[in-house]
Amino acid sequence: MPSEPALRCRGLRVDYGDVPAVCDLDLDVGPGEIVALLGPSGSGKSTLLHAVAGLVAPSAGEIWLAGRRVAAASASEPPERRDIGTVFQNFALWPHLDVLDTVAYPMRRAGRSRPRARADATAILDLLGLGQLAHRRPAELSGGEQQRVGLARALARNAGLYLLDEPTAHLDAHLRAAFLGEVRARQRDSGAAVLYATHDATEALALADRVALLDGGRLLQVGTPSQVYDEPVSAAAAALTGPVSVLSARVGPAGDALLAVEIGDASDTVAGRASGPPHTRQVLLRPEWTSVGGPFQGRVEAAWFRGSHVDYEVRSPAGRILVRETDAPRRAAGETIPWGIRRIWLLPDEAAEPQPSAAVAPG
Amino acid sequence: MPGRARALGAERLAIGVVLLAVAALVVVPIARLAKASTDASVGRVLRSPGISTAAWHTVLVAVVVTAVAVPLGAAMALLLRRPELPARRTLRVAVVLPLVVPQFVLGYSWTEAYARAGFTDSVLGIHWDGLIGPVGVIVVLAVNAVPVGYLLATAGLVTRAQPELERAARASGATAWTALRTVTLPVLRPALAAAGVLTFVATLESFAVPQVLGTPAGFSTLTTRIYADLSLGSDPASFTDAVTLALGLVLIAALVLVPADVVLAPRLRAERSGQPAGPAQRQRRTWRSYAAAATLGGYVLLVALLPLLALVAASITRAVGLPPTSGNWTLANFRAVLNGTTTGALRHSLELAVAAATLLVVLGALSAVLERRRSGRLLATAATLTFVIPGSTLAVAVLIAYGRWFDGTLTLILVAYLAKLWALAHRPISGALDRFPTAEWQAARASGAAPPTAVRTIWLPALAPALLGAWVLTFVTALHEVTMSSLLYSTRSQTLAVVVLNSQELGDVGPTAALSVLLTALLLAAVLPAWAVAHACNRWRAPRQEVAGAL
Repeated sequence: MPSEPALRCRGLRVDYGDVPAVCDLDLDVGPGEIVALLGPSGSGKSTLLHAVAGLVAPSAGEIWLAGRRVAAASASEPPERRDIGTVFQNFALWPHLDVLDTVAYPMRRAGRSRPRARADATAILDLLGLGQLAHRRPAELSGGEQQRVGLARALARNAGLYLLDEPTAHLDAHLRAAFLGEVRARQRDSGAAVLYATHDATEALALADRVALLDGGRLLQVGTPSQVYDEPVSAAAAALTGPVSVLSARVGPAGDALLAVEIGDASDTVAGRASGPPHTRQVLLRPEWTSVGGPFQGRVEAAWFRGSHVDYEVRSPAGRILVRETDAPRRAAGETIPWGIRRIWLLPDEAAEPQPSAAVAPG
Repeated sequence: MPGRARALGAERLAIGVVLLAVAALVVVPIARLAKASTDASVGRVLRSPGISTAAWHTVLVAVVVTAVAVPLGAAMALLLRRPELPARRTLRVAVVLPLVVPQFVLGYSWTEAYARAGFTDSVLGIHWDGLIGPVGVIVVLAVNAVPVGYLLATAGLVTRAQPELERAARASGATAWTALRTVTLPVLRPALAAAGVLTFVATLESFAVPQVLGTPAGFSTLTTRIYADLSLGSDPASFTDAVTLALGLVLIAALVLVPADVVLAPRLRAERSGQPAGPAQRQRRTWRSYAAAATLGGYVLLVALLPLLALVAASITRAVGLPPTSGNWTLANFRAVLNGTTTGALRHSLELAVAAATLLVVLGALSAVLERRRSGRLLATAATLTFVIPGSTLAVAVLIAYGRWFDGTLTLILVAYLAKLWALAHRPISGALDRFPTAEWQAARASGAAPPTAVRTIWLPALAPALLGAWVLTFVTALHEVTMSSLLYSTRSQTLAVVVLNSQELGDVGPTAALSVLLTALLLAAVLPAWAVAHACNRWRAPRQEVAGAL
């Protein structure tokens, strides 16, 4: 029997004043699934999470939690009656409560006695390795500790769905990794679903079962990390998940499951299929789908050394392209280098025109 | 390096000026008062029955007013925080109105509105006898004090209670009510406690309202006793009385302030600089938001607008007791009061207020800057301490210290104003310096501005609202002032507020009302342009607190 999704949003719209912050949004989060909400700041991630948590009322659309409708245009259930735990971006720890009482707070609200709530809070703190901080106040905690206390407080709700609103935005890189490990481990233990907002593509792709790309309050694409990375629906969607070059090139079939890509006077073949006669199309190239050496020639405009590899910004007749070499930088700006392609992603022909309604439904 | 030497010289000069001012305005008067009290037969005075009654009344009024006004002010702050409240911007201004109106005018306007032969009596036949007496004193003082609680709670909500904290409580399963009880109010506690202390001390030293509403019913407080002793009594015994009462007043204030300061100061200092609050979402307007707005509007109407209208009506009505209809209108009251005495008093008031405000902005700026240097911190604290010394006490102290040279001159009143209001000028400027980010200063220096240029181009524009706010605040307070000037004035140095008070004591209803209207109009004429300027500045920076404090 297929169980109900932990979260289902249908036609969701939230307005701030006259500006829609979230618009026409359909999204499902399955039971036990981690969905990352990836988008730049101002794209509506926090608004969506606040609407799901019940902190803002949607102006249109519906929200369902585990098969129960909690928000519609007519009425919105208050946050305390939703089975949700939330981790806030700015930690939002209460300055007048120590760590133990902070974590005990949701349990007190659930009706447990003070001693009982404190005992249960201690168990959660020990699980997260925060036991020794139990009697500190937020002002006496480091950023990483504050955010782990925030996570502990959310876990104390023992909910079916957890919302994490850019929880690592204020953390250093090493704390970020530790925090993500913690989230993963807790999610495996509890089997709860997670909706995780972030503007960091690496974090979203590494952590999530599925990634939802959000821009300007609308979903651009929802899919597995490799789907959204390798098969983006638009150049905008591709740019959200990592560096990408967009070029106009003449592409046509070149025999069995092969494509010919013409740039200037030269051409190269890659695996792939295309219908119709050769014509000029929008081609997406991830830097790692290219290499130094190949049929094309281009002038190096800049070289970006990234440690494990170097990206050359190369000028070609089809546009600027990032060409990757897994080596130390050996070419300088101004040199002409040969380059080739191993793989491409063709944008659908109609996507050349801006068509926001072409967003792909989840599934 | 000459520049460094010059800076050091300027600092020494500033310290010298502040040192001299603190000595002259604070140390000498208080020392003289203490000495005078040892000479006086304190024991005899304390045993006289009227004194303990007055002290008991003073404490009772202060306790009840604090207990009523602070929760009301906090409730208003919480209501007016909600963006969906109808007419929110107007209401935010309106609820501060009872603080802008001088205490004397507020008290007197209530009698014109609600007492026997007042507005409601002549229109509806309803009047409130309890208004003249302890209950009336408490109610009107509470109405006057509510905006203090409102302003401090609002400031506390802005700096301490970010919306995230309440959201976190709601997301943890708390109902709106539980979130208020377990998160918002505890977080606001230091701000509310500070509001309580401030209200308590301000009520202790309040004079005009007990004088207008209490004295006619035989209800005396320490401040009205001091006034009676100094203004009406002429024998040495009544002067001794006044000295002792003045000391008693400051002792009661100290009993509350010292422990409060020990407990509160570290908490208020540990205030986190709030993270920027996200945009507040406009919730849907329900019948509740309309009901809340209507309640607030009705409150302002009842406690301030209606009394002020009654006051205006009384000022243009031919005789007491006539219904306020157009047939009975006259400008005779205004013509009667616009004589040599009034215009002279008006000139005195304006001269005093301008001189006090201008000197105080300089002193306040000096003490605010010195507060940030190790050498001047103690001095700055001493300068601002006098704010909590009750006005009556300070007036008696100034009279003892300087009376023999300046008795009955405007200078004597000016000295008292400078001593009393220094903190009022110091605080907005100090607050603006606190919020002034060092980075902006460093960026100016790094962009090639020498210190004088950086002061002119970066500091002054940024501090201008605070300086203006400090000026307006002290100017308005000096115009309000009646406690000290009523003790220190002579026929040569009457202020407008004193003229109004005397007129009321003579029982001239029409002329008193006319004078009160004039005084209020003068205040509004000073406050409204400042308000407009403050709003213009807000768009570009956020010095709201400084100027909001002024209003």
